[in-house]
Amino acid sequence: MRAGLAAGGGLVLGGLLPACSEGGRTTEVASGANGDEPRRGGTVRFGVIEGSQAGNLDAHKPVGSGAFRGWALYSKLWEWGLDARPKLALAEEAEVNADATEWTIRLHKDLEFHHGKTISADDVIFSLLRLTDPQLASPYAGYLYSLLRNDVKKLDERTVRIPFEKGAGLVALAECWMSWGGIVPTDYDPVNNVVGAGPYRLKSFTPGQRSVFTRFDNYFKSGQPYFDEVEILDFSDQTGRLQALQAGQIDIAPNLPFEQQAFLKADPRFEVVSSETDVWHSFDMNLEKAPFDDPRVRKAFRLIADREELVARVLQGQGRVANDLYSPSDPAFNHDIPQRRQDLAEATRLLKEAGHGNGLDVELVTSGGAGANAALVFAQQAKKAGVNVTVSKVDGSIFTGPKRNDWTFSTGGSVSRPFLLTVQQHDGPRAVGNKTHFKDPRFAELITQALGQPDLDRRRALVGEAQRIQHESGGMLIWGYSNVLDAVSKDIGGVTPDRTGFAGWRTDRIWRRSIA
Amino acid sequence: MSRPPSSFRKPNPLLDLLRARQVRFGLVLSVLVVAFALLGPLFAPHAPTDLVGITYGPPSLDAPLGHDYIGHDVWSRVLAGGVSVVWMSLVSAVLALTAGTALGLLAAFARRRVDQTIVWFTDVFLAFPDLILVLLIVSMLGREHWIIVLTVAVAFAPGVVRLSRGIALGVVNQEFVEAAEMMGYPRGRILFREILPSILTPLLVHLGIMLTWAIGMLSGLAFLGYGVAPPAADWGLMINENRAGLLIQPAAVFGPVLLIALFALGTNLLAEGVGRVTSRIEEKTT
Amino acid sequence: MTTLSIGPQHLLPQLRRTAAALRARAPAWLPWFIGRLLSGVGVVLVISFIVFGATQALPSDPARMILGPEAPEHTIETLRRQLGLDRPLVLQYVDWAGQVVSGNLGRSIDSNVPVAELMAGRFANSLTLTLAVAAVAFPLALVLGIALALRRDSLFDRAVLSSVVLFKAVPGFVIGICLVMIFSTSVFNILPAASLLDPALPAWRQPQYLILPTATLALSVATYLLRLVRASMIEAMDSEYVTAARLRGVPERRIIWRHAVPNALIPAIQGVAMTFRVLFGGAVLAEVIFSYPGIGNTLNAAIEMRDLPLIQGIVLVVTVGVVAINLAADLITVLLTPRLRTATRIRARSPGLRNAASLWRTGKSWRVSV
Repeated sequence: MRAGLAAGGGLVLGGLLPACSEGGRTTEVASGANGDEPRRGGTVRFGVIEGSQAGNLDAHKPVGSGAFRGWALYSKLWEWGLDARPKLALAEEAEVNADATEWTIRLHKDLEFHHGKTISADDVIFSLLRLTDPQLASPYAGYLYSLLRNDVKKLDERTVRIPFEKGAGLVALAECWMSWGGIVPTDYDPVNNVVGAGPYRLKSFTPGQRSVFTRFDNYFKSGQPYFDEVEILDFSDQTGRLQALQAGQIDIAPNLPFEQQAFLKADPRFEVVSSETDVWHSFDMNLEKAPFDDPRVRKAFRLIADREELVARVLQGQGRVANDLYSPSDPAFNHDIPQRRQDLAEATRLLKEAGHGNGLDVELVTSGGAGANAALVFAQQAKKAGVNVTVSKVDGSIFTGPKRNDWTFSTGGSVSRPFLLTVQQHDGPRAVGNKTHFKDPRFAELITQALGQPDLDRRRALVGEAQRIQHESGGMLIWGYSNVLDAVSKDIGGVTPDRTGFAGWRTDRIWRRSIA
Repeated sequence: MSRPPSSFRKPNPLLDLLRARQVRFGLVLSVLVVAFALLGPLFAPHAPTDLVGITYGPPSLDAPLGHDYIGHDVWSRVLAGGVSVVWMSLVSAVLALTAGTALGLLAAFARRRVDQTIVWFTDVFLAFPDLILVLLIVSMLGREHWIIVLTVAVAFAPGVVRLSRGIALGVVNQEFVEAAEMMGYPRGRILFREILPSILTPLLVHLGIMLTWAIGMLSGLAFLGYGVAPPAADWGLMINENRAGLLIQPAAVFGPVLLIALFALGTNLLAEGVGRVTSRIEEKTT
Repeated sequence: MTTLSIGPQHLLPQLRRTAAALRARAPAWLPWFIGRLLSGVGVVLVISFIVFGATQALPSDPARMILGPEAPEHTIETLRRQLGLDRPLVLQYVDWAGQVVSGNLGRSIDSNVPVAELMAGRFANSLTLTLAVAAVAFPLALVLGIALALRRDSLFDRAVLSSVVLFKAVPGFVIGICLVMIFSTSVFNILPAASLLDPALPAWRQPQYLILPTATLALSVATYLLRLVRASMIEAMDSEYVTAARLRGVPERRIIWRHAVPNALIPAIQGVAMTFRVLFGGAVLAEVIFSYPGIGNTLNAAIEMRDLPLIQGIVLVVTVGVVAINLAADLITVLLTPRLRTATRIRARSPGLRNAASLWRTGKSWRVSV
């Protein structure tokens, strides 16, 4: 999932907090449950599903399963820790000034690309400018909206200064850049010279079918990675992948659909690793269209939802109830807002007050997967409050097509990402996919201030108030956070629960037990 | 199949048909499935969208076929999910037959330019493999029921054009048509009184075969995710929805699969049986 | 067809002259064949219009699909411009057609690989699968069909026919799912459930992945072919020349192999062509079930992704293939049928097709009631 690129996590700033400078040339010991040690050698096969997209290898515009391959091919300045907080990777140090308008980043010494060239400041600048190049048309460039591209400066061979517009600092640089910020050499080409600094180097790539990688011996984590070869196989069909797993054709199936867990848990050859994450699910109400232009209707809908049932049915219990807010793992998240629960009497009263005492007809547009199932469950719940919800399922290409932000009522949600990144995507002042058309001046001001506020306590106050506004008058009915399941052969070690939901993506941590 | 030579009565085609075992079997099977589909909703214990059980709950006394991917009662959905399969496959086959026959007769009568043009366009459509054509149209126009029905009809119509044109050409040149033309009967009357009845049997047989194809194509479309959209209950859709649970709760898939297979089998046996018997009658009467 | 390569302005007179010259000496079927060839080119041309128009009319557009739901509108606009999607439709078509004529099918928007390169691998896989199906289904249908015809209406015949109707009526993907459950998951675990071909090796070198998809398709296809062979064999055995040969005391074995079988095989040619056509387009479902990296799977994915150059390329090549197969089948039918080979003028566009279609569908020979 391209949306699966990032994960929720804290706004821990590398360089400001010593605790997270543990990246770099350290050896991570990935111990299995029985305390066994990683072994080198062998091959592993991943089976990934990315709809029908063939995908590519571009570091800065990953398409389809390209995001998954990116984890093997590219290293970044930061990487996601298991706790879903950014930690330094290729960067040795990252400092930010008081209003978050100037970042200074220094690389580790003697880092190498797959083709042997040393990683220098020039490569970092090249990578940053390539990502934000309007001609590349990367969908992820927008998160660095206030970057002053022309003023990025090389201070020395290993140090870069990255400036942002005055008054529009970006304290969340790590989160907003890391997932699609692969560092590539200046002679990079996404088709003919696919070179990065990731744990594995490219051997072959057949779009939509399979890609093969071999170990990069000069990876920046010494001793890692462990496999001689990694194969990533593309599937277009869940059942096909499940059968391939059973038949031993693949070793790891990341992002297992919930309905398959029971089946795999019964099979002694596999382990289903369940990671608690911030992946969220919502119903999005368009504030510009009736009936949701009335805050009473929005509140009524939020009271109609039986979140426990939604989690039990749609997520098959693999998740937690949500309180109409995203990014609960963010250190700035406001945990003091009371949890909303189903209250049909109050919902009916509010609807009556809003003039819908004789019932209300709403169309709920959805595309597929968990969203479609949630829509069916919610439609049943709404009946009890006299609301007739008609579920209408459209193709993904139409759902996210030109009308993507115009649906009156639709299913939504996204992956595990920290607050300041998610808000930029969904309902903040510069949000791209503002399906709810939520525009609150005070909310926008708070977000802008929070983005320029490196101090966590002050930022917590700003985010806390913004979340109160979202909770009171926002357009999203966020009903749950889901776990991410990965099916792993028992012969594979190093796949452990991971707040980011990327347990099955970390090609540099996993290894095979049966290697002598 | 010898008949006493004394019987000089006009053969009763209907009786002949019913005497053939294959026809009887196909008819009974088709009628049973259609009756199940049409009357089923009346006997469903739950509404098809009611969430009454746990996800992929196994069969039990209350739910003979268990529960599906989200907790619907599979038995209720099987009972409710036949209507759309029956009407959609029937209507698309009939539409294809009507449109195709009209064009085919037109071609056979008009000859020359019109004929060539029509035939040539059927060539164009026949060069598109069926499923590809349908996939393209459905993803272009959406998946409302009527669009799917029309699309399947469009995919089948060229075959009917070919068939009806061919038969009509054979008939048009025959004496009784020429005689009627010479006697100055209007063309429309010749068409409906003389020609249509004589080509009706092969066309009806073809209708039955198209019905089988339509069932296969509609369920195939649903299987690929292009068919009827949820939450509607539909046999084809149910296969698609519950395929992920095939290994956990096979009843949710095998119920609709079985009914689709029986329906397809019934219509196929019926159509072929009729075809066989009528051609036997023709052999005898000539 | 060297006469066709001299440029359109000379084409017609040249053709007329050729036709006139040929009428004297050359085989009678040649004008018919040239006519069919030209009509086939026309079909391909019209289909290229339709496909181009249809792909452009698909809701949403490739730029949006590629960049995903997170992309801002201005980014989408940039990509649309880069892909040339903002230009007038006619211009896009002319560009595309010009490229196609010079052998360039463009680049896949989704994976940025040349369409021809992408398709070559997938077509090779599909072709391998098709040939494997043919290698199983044709001999099976032939042997069984002849055997049944010779024992017609026996218990054996009736039993085979009625069990075979099952495979004919039950949709192919259902057969596929059942085979997977029997051979790779629930009952035995002896065959791979998903056909994860190694793209570095040709498909035929990896037969373990071909078995199940081949079996699925062969079961559906062989049924039709079997009935066709059986019916046309029965017809041949009932024909006058067989009766005449019997009266002359020709041994039965010789009658069967020298007279009946060759004649019964002529409709089978059209049947074979139909099988190829069905496999060309209809393997989509089987390929999806087995994740087989063939052309059907690729097309299904390309439609979802709105990968216009890939859709256009695939549909174009498939239709050209279908037209070519039809043409080849018609030509072979004409050449093998003495009556047609020597006819002064062939009236039917596709001789033999209707008869085969009827045999294929209903197991009865084509006949107009007289």
